[in-house]
Amino acid sequence: MATDDRRNALLDKIGIVWALGTFVVAAAFDRASNHLALAGGDGAIRLAPVKPVQDVPAVLPVHAAHAGAVLSLVPDCRAGAFISGGDDGTIRRIAADGTIATVAMFAARWVDHLMAGPGVYAAGIGREIAVLDPAGQRDPLLFPLPSSAGGIALDPKGKRVAASHYGGVTLRWTAGGEQAPRSLGWRGSHLATSWSPDGRFIVTAMQENALHSWRVADGKDMRMSGYPVKVQSMSWFAKGRYLATSGSDRIVVWPFAGKDGPTGKPPLEMGHGLEGFVTRVAAHPVHDIVAAGYEDGAVILCQMGRNETLLVKRPGDGPVSALAWSPDGHHLAIGTEDGFAAVLSAADWRTN
Amino acid sequence: MSKIPVTVLTGYLGAGKTTLLNRILTEHHGKRYAVVVNEFGEVGIDNDLVVNADEEVFEMNNGCICCTVRGDLIRILGGLMKRKGQLDGILIETTGLADPAPVAQTFFVDDDVRQKTRLDSIVTVVDAKHLDLRLADSHEAAEQVAFADVILLNKVDLMSPAELAAVEKRIRAINPTATIHRTERCGIDLDAVLDRSAFDLQRILAVEPNFLTEDDHEHDDDIKSICLTTRQLLDGDQFVDWFQRLVAQRGVDLLRSKGILEFAGHDRRFVVQAVHMLMEGDFTGPWRSADDRYSRLVFIGRNLDEAALRAGFEACIKA
Repeated sequence: MATDDRRNALLDKIGIVWALGTFVVAAAFDRASNHLALAGGDGAIRLAPVKPVQDVPAVLPVHAAHAGAVLSLVPDCRAGAFISGGDDGTIRRIAADGTIATVAMFAARWVDHLMAGPGVYAAGIGREIAVLDPAGQRDPLLFPLPSSAGGIALDPKGKRVAASHYGGVTLRWTAGGEQAPRSLGWRGSHLATSWSPDGRFIVTAMQENALHSWRVADGKDMRMSGYPVKVQSMSWFAKGRYLATSGSDRIVVWPFAGKDGPTGKPPLEMGHGLEGFVTRVAAHPVHDIVAAGYEDGAVILCQMGRNETLLVKRPGDGPVSALAWSPDGHHLAIGTEDGFAAVLSAADWRTN
Repeated sequence: MSKIPVTVLTGYLGAGKTTLLNRILTEHHGKRYAVVVNEFGEVGIDNDLVVNADEEVFEMNNGCICCTVRGDLIRILGGLMKRKGQLDGILIETTGLADPAPVAQTFFVDDDVRQKTRLDSIVTVVDAKHLDLRLADSHEAAEQVAFADVILLNKVDLMSPAELAAVEKRIRAINPTATIHRTERCGIDLDAVLDRSAFDLQRILAVEPNFLTEDDHEHDDDIKSICLTTRQLLDGDQFVDWFQRLVAQRGVDLLRSKGILEFAGHDRRFVVQAVHMLMEGDFTGPWRSADDRYSRLVFIGRNLDEAALRAGFEACIKA
């Protein structure tokens, strides 16, 4: 089905739009849902308060955070701050007022995978996992990997870290001490990694247009294939009962509610097929709503169990490269490879 | 969207790769290049866009045993793409002992890499004085010559004209389609090295191999080339079917294959190329001239059975 440009897009009615002039690598809201951060390919982080809506600035302050490109950005474990990783080998913390501090430095390496959990930071840095203490009281722990990290994930309590790489996933305890790594193996190159919010499953996106998943308790694994392109983005919703994924012309959703996860079950599909493929998905933190960004720049919203698709953003401005909800579910941020960025705010996103 | 050109630099240790790299980085050409080097680089290079690669070669799970790719390059190129608009090109230096195939195959296999970058050419720096030795003691040296689109025959100041002619002849027997430049300390106009579009189907066989001369095999090199031509029309379906089967079955031994073909019932040229088992083909523009309008096919590889290849090719002639 061709994209219908004549339809009204939600961005025509609500939302604030910026032209950043650089690849939007990631968008994130802080844990209190008060601030938005946008990471740029120019090494800068742009910050905006999002409450109240009328105070959102028309021009964003630019904070130079990294010498090269920003490669990763996530909310800090405490409200009012973010952490970012760059191709300059640094991890930095940026507060809502723009104050920047260096958390760690890894010379001549890239910090392309970064996570912040309860009281812990984890990063995939080349062939190592780095576990860092946000308070800076403890020295970083470094765990070797068999090949470069393709993705990193923390369990919901921040007790364990998982790094994907060629041949599977390596698990480590973030507390350190005497420990042996646990390996979850499957032949092939494993990229983006995600830990289900209930802690039961680890899912990786593979080089070969498929997902692989392991049940953490016993290592039982399953393969989810059939994607036309690589899966770049995954997002859990309904307390971990569903996993929404990119990599097709619609949102592909795998049911993880049962004991065996999606084994033997077909995926659900959400949204009407637009031109091209979904590059980013972001599930609403409260309701069963999924936002999807496309390679042609369009963004849609879909609600589980409903047929209609709401057009949020028309095609254009390059592939969608960043998509994020605020934790309170009031704000949706969008970023594209060609430097388009926007935030939309609403008290209730459910369609009636 | 314009794709960022990627140039792959290969060459045995000491041939002069780093000299060339430093020249590209320090000359005032007004362009910004990111450089991907291997960990054991010979000389430090002063540039803020130098990235260390881990040379992680892995097999794809697609049932194709020779289809290896560079996982680290997929990651690095993805990261460099975030500097969109700030980069004019990317140079990848491989180790002296590297087989160029996984690097080239990465550009055929990965969707994201294909979408945002294009493999421009493989440039091989050869130490003219020591090529014979290198070819004798390492199969990588021959692979680097075999894969090259551009060969810098370096250190020619140390050679006599007769020695140089012999070396070039030996290179030609392995790779009849590369452009060869004789250089001292890699002194060459960078336009001859960068932005060559050598993997563009439109530019395949821009350097015509000498299809007519029978080469006398003084050296029994492991890697050889075979050139086939015909002025008779080919059956398109039959050719594509034969070529696909050939690279699927013999792809391990076929390093690079390139062809420009004339199919019965089509006015435009059909162009194919393959790196081991990975192939692409399409109708490109019109023929340049009536004289130029004939089918030719070049194979570079090991254990090539010339008689069988010729028979297979000629069986595709339209009855």
